[in-house]
Formats: sequence, structure tokens, C-alpha cells
Amino acid sequence: MTALLQVKGLNKHFGGLYAVRDVSFDLQPGSITGILGPNGAGKTTMFNLLTGFIRADSGSALFDGHSLVGLAPHQIVNLGLARTFQLARPFSGMSVVENVEVACHAQRVRHFGMPRKRAHALLEQVGLGGQAEFEVDVLPYGDLRRLEIARALATKPKLLLLDEPFAGLGAGEVGPLADLIRTLHKSEGLTILLIEHKLREFMQLVHEIIAMDFGEIVAVGTPTKIVRHPRVIEAYLGTQDLALDMA
Amino acid sequence: MNILKVDWIGALFALAALAAIPLVFGSSYIIGVMTVALCYGMWAASWDFMSGLTGRENFGHSLFIGAGAYTAGFLNVNFGANPWWSLLAAPVVAVLFSLLMGFPTLRLRGPYFALAMLSASAVMQNLTIIFSGYTGGQDGLNGLFPILDSTLAYYYLTLGLLAASAVVLKLVANSSWGLVLRAIRGDEATCQAAGINVNFYKIVSLVISAAIAGLGGALYAHYQLQVGPDLFTVVLSINIIIMVYVGGMGSIYGPIGGALLLNVLTETLRGLSEYRLWVYTLVLVIILFFLPQGAIAPLWRRIRFMFT
Amino acid sequence: MLQILIYGAVISAIYALLAVGFTLVFGVARILNLAHGSFYALGAYGVYALTANLHLPLWLAAIISVLVVGVFGVLVERILVRPLRRSMLAVLLITLAVALMIEQILLLIFGSEARNVPSLVDTTHHLVGVDISGQRLLALASSIIVLAGLWFFLQFTRLGSAILAVSQDAEAAQYMGIPSDRMYSIVMGVSAGMAAVAGVLVAPFQTVIPGMGLLPLVKAFAIVVVGGLGSIAGSIVGALLLGYSETIIAFKVSIEWSQIVSVAAVLVTLVLRPAGFFGKRAAF
Repeated sequence: MTALLQVKGLNKHFGGLYAVRDVSFDLQPGSITGILGPNGAGKTTMFNLLTGFIRADSGSALFDGHSLVGLAPHQIVNLGLARTFQLARPFSGMSVVENVEVACHAQRVRHFGMPRKRAHALLEQVGLGGQAEFEVDVLPYGDLRRLEIARALATKPKLLLLDEPFAGLGAGEVGPLADLIRTLHKSEGLTILLIEHKLREFMQLVHEIIAMDFGEIVAVGTPTKIVRHPRVIEAYLGTQDLALDMA
Repeated sequence: MNILKVDWIGALFALAALAAIPLVFGSSYIIGVMTVALCYGMWAASWDFMSGLTGRENFGHSLFIGAGAYTAGFLNVNFGANPWWSLLAAPVVAVLFSLLMGFPTLRLRGPYFALAMLSASAVMQNLTIIFSGYTGGQDGLNGLFPILDSTLAYYYLTLGLLAASAVVLKLVANSSWGLVLRAIRGDEATCQAAGINVNFYKIVSLVISAAIAGLGGALYAHYQLQVGPDLFTVVLSINIIIMVYVGGMGSIYGPIGGALLLNVLTETLRGLSEYRLWVYTLVLVIILFFLPQGAIAPLWRRIRFMFT
Repeated sequence: MLQILIYGAVISAIYALLAVGFTLVFGVARILNLAHGSFYALGAYGVYALTANLHLPLWLAAIISVLVVGVFGVLVERILVRPLRRSMLAVLLITLAVALMIEQILLLIFGSEARNVPSLVDTTHHLVGVDISGQRLLALASSIIVLAGLWFFLQFTRLGSAILAVSQDAEAAQYMGIPSDRMYSIVMGVSAGMAAVAGVLVAPFQTVIPGMGLLPLVKAFAIVVVGGLGSIAGSIVGALLLGYSETIIAFKVSIEWSQIVSVAAVLVTLVLRPAGFFGKRAAF
């Protein structure tokens, strides 16, 4: 089976600092992969590179046979690669359903028609059906994350990039969101790549983990293997001795 | 009754009122003032369509106005063409200017787009003065022919074109196009992530805005029967922005109301010519501090609320 | 040729005074102050009023004028700009309103004919083969002194460091105990004072009319855009570029073509290199 996303040797530096260095990985269709790493590891930068918000210095990224390098963000979305933002910036001054409706006008999905209807249906899917007519500015943080997902889903993506979907959520909100992601993964046939800090939910959600530190991939493997990987422990907790002390 | 119906009924009333003005106040002085006010209405509405909706404030709207007016001037005075051609050519030339300036500047964020358009209109102003051989320099071009001989008929022509423009702009603003423009105002990056080609929408909106502003410019030229470099000034652009502010940004009809109001206000104060600018400035300060949403659009929304 | 060199220097120095003040306000307080030209005009009219009506000695009138305009700048920021800070368009429009008001007031009080301000230094000098008035040389020297003074102030005093901090990150500065709001007012006052100095220096040899502030505002704008909004070094370089371009073109081609330089420069800069040649949005 050909990988849905093939990234080879992706590089990006700012000034003298390498934000992303020689990153290569493949994503198989239908998989849920997680990117793990401390702050500054280059995770969001990589998302920005893949989604066209920043241009890579070198390297390649093939999505569904198309090269992503040099494409504008909206072009990438119209190929079937959607993303959510870590700091959701909704369309202020518009209603919740309008926020999703905008995405229904993307070239990829415009032909479906009935944008308002589709938007309502998408809101139902993520559990925001009741808030459709509210001003988006009154939505609490947790609901904004769901809105982000609805907006991304509107473009009928094959690959969904989630940037810290659980960030800032209270203990009671994380579980339902993880369930939603699992449900959508099945119902929409999505391939998912997500960045996250909250380890527990993360571990139960993903099939495979890519661990990053200082812009490089330091380990790839299943959740159970990764959590024992020395370099991962080192990145999060300092040296191995310290980790053993705490064991 | 739903909002849309009330809006259209209100628009019809406004149109009827404007049509009735020459019949009530017969003097050609008043008809003249109102004709100019209607031109300002076209300029304000067209500005609002692009900048009011997207939030990308254009400080060089006079570029399109001057382009349209001078096109009328050139065709009519230098080439002796039939004045009706101005109405066709002016929007086209204004659109060309908008494409020329739009492509390099719309990708600029924040105040830079505003400044770029502002300097574009200032450059044109200077160029018209420098190349005085073609443009008549500071004195401009004189001796345009009126499109229609009667000022009354011209008033109705201008009113008709304003109404048609307003209808088109409002229909587009209420459609999914307007939805996307408002989203661009909300957050451009999120728009991109929603699969929207933001630059395309911005350019097309600027083009539409320019076309109508240019048309207004030609109408103005054929009313004043002369064009001058003052049609490219920053002052004109800013006056229009103030009218939009007074009317209520993003509503399309509000700015038209604002244009009418401020034109009438400045005319009635023409007697106190020294204090005219004071009042203008005072109005501006009042709006800024007490009515940031404008005066006309919020007022209409109150009235509308009573009927829905 | 030497004429261009000397005259260009004088113009550039004055432009630098105006541009640096303008960019200071933008860099620190994030305001595009459309009333900047009015401060310049007020400086000139202040000197006129104090010498012609109150018969004060010129040097005293100059100092008082600059101080009064500086305080006025602080008041404008405090009373009119601060409440509207959330919207950049609103701030722009309110400073525009201030500019319009000031022009109207000046028109009302002094009328529209040009006023005569006597020179501080009523001599003509012969410098490297060029005739130049003492006043112009004074303008050049004073501008350089004021700019140098500003640099020292920003680099070596506590208040100056506080201002620089606010320009980099207002919120962080506030966490450090620096009252950003007060900094904005102070910067506006300094900027207004500098504009007033420019007005005072050129009043003897420029036309003093109520609308005299418009063109300097446009020039300051242009210089700041080319040099980079918020960059003092950029403003100085930009001032030199504009001052000399205008002088050269005015001498060699025509006055009209020299007027287009400023706005054309803005357009070209924004299209090619929007941040200006030295600009980063924040720091100096």
C-alpha cells in the first residue's frame, strides 16, 4: 500500500537555528500517528511546512502523489490535507455555523452545494449542533476546538493534521474529544497526524508515535516502545539517571 | 416579516424619497447638491464593499475615482467622444488601475496595504500635475459635455445608477461571496486553512469596488463638466472613509446614508464657511467616541427590529 | 554641486527630526500620528506669536514654544488617543481630527497670509564657495544636536531604556513594572517636541501658513516607510535619501518632479520591501 504522505529530508531554518532538520517519515492511509516532543522541538513548524504556511528550505513532501512544496495553503487544503490550529482563531463577528459554512465554499467541496445545510450537519457531527446560531465569540475554549475540527472536516480531507487538540482542556473534556476523534477516524476514513503533549490520551489514541527533539526525529515506534526509549526520556525528563531516580 | 423583506422595503422607501426630492425642492441648486451627494454615495458604497467587509482598509480609493473622471475627461475633451462612452470606459480604466495596484499590494498585511494605495493615489495626483500637457495640470480638463441636458434628468440617471450599484453590491455582500469576505476580515490564515483562495477574493472585490467608484467618477465629471488633480487626493479618500464610518461599516447602505448626510450637512453649513470644517471634525469625534458602529446602519437596525 | 551638498544636508536634517519623531511614536505606541505635521506648524506659530505679540526674545520664544507643544502632545495622547487605542483606524481618524482642528484654529487666529518670523541668526555665510544663510546652518547644527541628544537619552538613561523596552514588547515591559501607558504619553510628547523644534528652526525661511504641516507629514511618512516603521536608524538614512533626492531633482529637473519622489518612494518600497530597508515591526 502506498503511503498517503511521504516526507523526505524536510529542512527549515530561521536565522542560524534549525527548526526542522532532515525530517523523513511516511503515513499509511487510515493510520493515526502522533508527534511527540518538548516545546520547541519543531512540531508546529513541521505542520506549517506541510500545510504551506511556511516554505521549506529543502526536502520533499508527497501527498497522495502530489508534491506539497511551494503550494499555497488553500491549494493544499483542496488536495485533501486539512489542519486545525493550536490557537484557534475563528472568524470573529460571525456565527458558529457561518464559521463552518465558509469552508464549504472551498473549491474541493463547492460542488456539493447546500453549504448552510452541510455546515449544520458538520456541527451535529462534532457535537455543536445546539450552538449553531451563537456568535462564535461566546464559544468556550473546548467548543472552539470542536469547531476547528468541523471546519477542517468541511473540506472533506483525506489527511487531518491536529495541532494540540487537547491543549487547555479540562480533565473532563479530554475524553469526549478523544472519542470524537476516534469516531471521525472511522466514519470519515481519515488518516490523522496529531501533535500533543498530554500523554495519556495520546497513548490510547495513536497507532504510532514519531518523537522529535530539536527539530529532528529521534525515535519512531508504538506508544509502549516509545515511552521507554532513552532519547525520548532524555528529551522530556533530562538524563536517564534522573528518570531512574524517579522510577 | 423577515429581515430581508424589511430591508428591501426600506430600500424602496429610501429610493422613493430620493426620487421625490427634486419634485419637492425644485431648485436646481438643491438638485445639484444631491447629484454630487449621490456620487459620493457610489464612492462610499464601493469602498464599503471591499474594505468594510474584508477589513482591508483602502486609503487610496480616490485613485479609482480620478481614473474614472479623467477617462471621461480624456474621451470627451481630448477625443471629442460622445459622453455616454465615458460611463462605459471609466469603470474599465478604473478596473485596470485596480488590477495594476491590487496584485502587488493586496498580499501586504496590516497598514501596509492602506499606505500603498494611499501613495498610489498621491503618485497619480503628482503625475497629472507633471504631465500638464495631456491633463491640463493643476487646472485640469475643462469643457466636458453633459450627458443629459437637463439637471433633473441627470439627477435621475445618477440615482438610477447608484440604486443599481447598491443593489448589486448588497446582493453580492449577502451572498456566499460576502460570507467569505467577512471571514477574511475575521482571520486570513484560518480562511486559507478553510481552502479559500484569499488573494483571489480580495482582488475581485477590489476590482468590483474600483469599477463602481470609477463609474461614480465619470458621473461626477460630467456633472461638474471639469476634472482636476484634486480628484486624486488623499483628502477625498479620507472624506469617503469618514462617510462610511458615519454610516456604519460593512452595511453598504449605511455608507450611502453617511455620504448623503455629510454632503447635505456641509452644504447647509456653507454659509458658515469658517466653521464648516469644525462641524465635520466634531461629527468625526462624536462618531469615534460615542458611536463606533456608525449612526445610520445601527439606526436602521433599530427601526427594522420593530417590524420583525 | 556643492550647493546641492549643503542644501541637501539642511533639508535632510530637518526631515530627520520629523521622521525620527514619527517613527518613535509608531515604534513605541503603535500610532500613525496624523497630527505630527500640526506639531511642526504649532512650533512655528508659537515662535511667531511669542515674538510678534509678546515681544519675547527669539531664543526664549523658541524654547517655550517647543515645551508647550511637547506638553500638548502628551495631552493629545492622554485624552484623545488612549481611549481609542483598540482600533488603529479610530486612532488614525482622531489624530486626523486633531490635525484638522489645529489647522482651523490657526486659520481663525492668524488668518491665511504667511507670517514672518525673524531669523535667530541674521547672517549669510560663505561656505566652500556656497552662499548659505546662518539660519539654515543653525537649523542643520541644531537638528544634529537634538538627534544626538535623543540617542543619548534612549541609550543611556533609565527612562530611555524603559521606552526601548516598551517598543520591543509592551506587555513584557509592563510585567517588569514599566507603565506602558505613561511611556506612550512621554514618547508622544518627545515626538511633538522634536516636530516643534523643526518648525521653530525653519520658520524664518519657510512659508508659515496654517496648512504648513501637511507636506512635512507626507515627507515624514515617506521616510519612515522607506526606512522601516519603528527604526530610528532607518529614518535617518531615509531622511538623507529623501532630502538629497529631492534637492538633486529640484536642481536638475524641476520642482514638480521633486515632489513626486516621496510618494513614489513609498509605493516602490511597499511593493518591493514592505518592512522598509531597516524595518522590523517592533524594535529600533
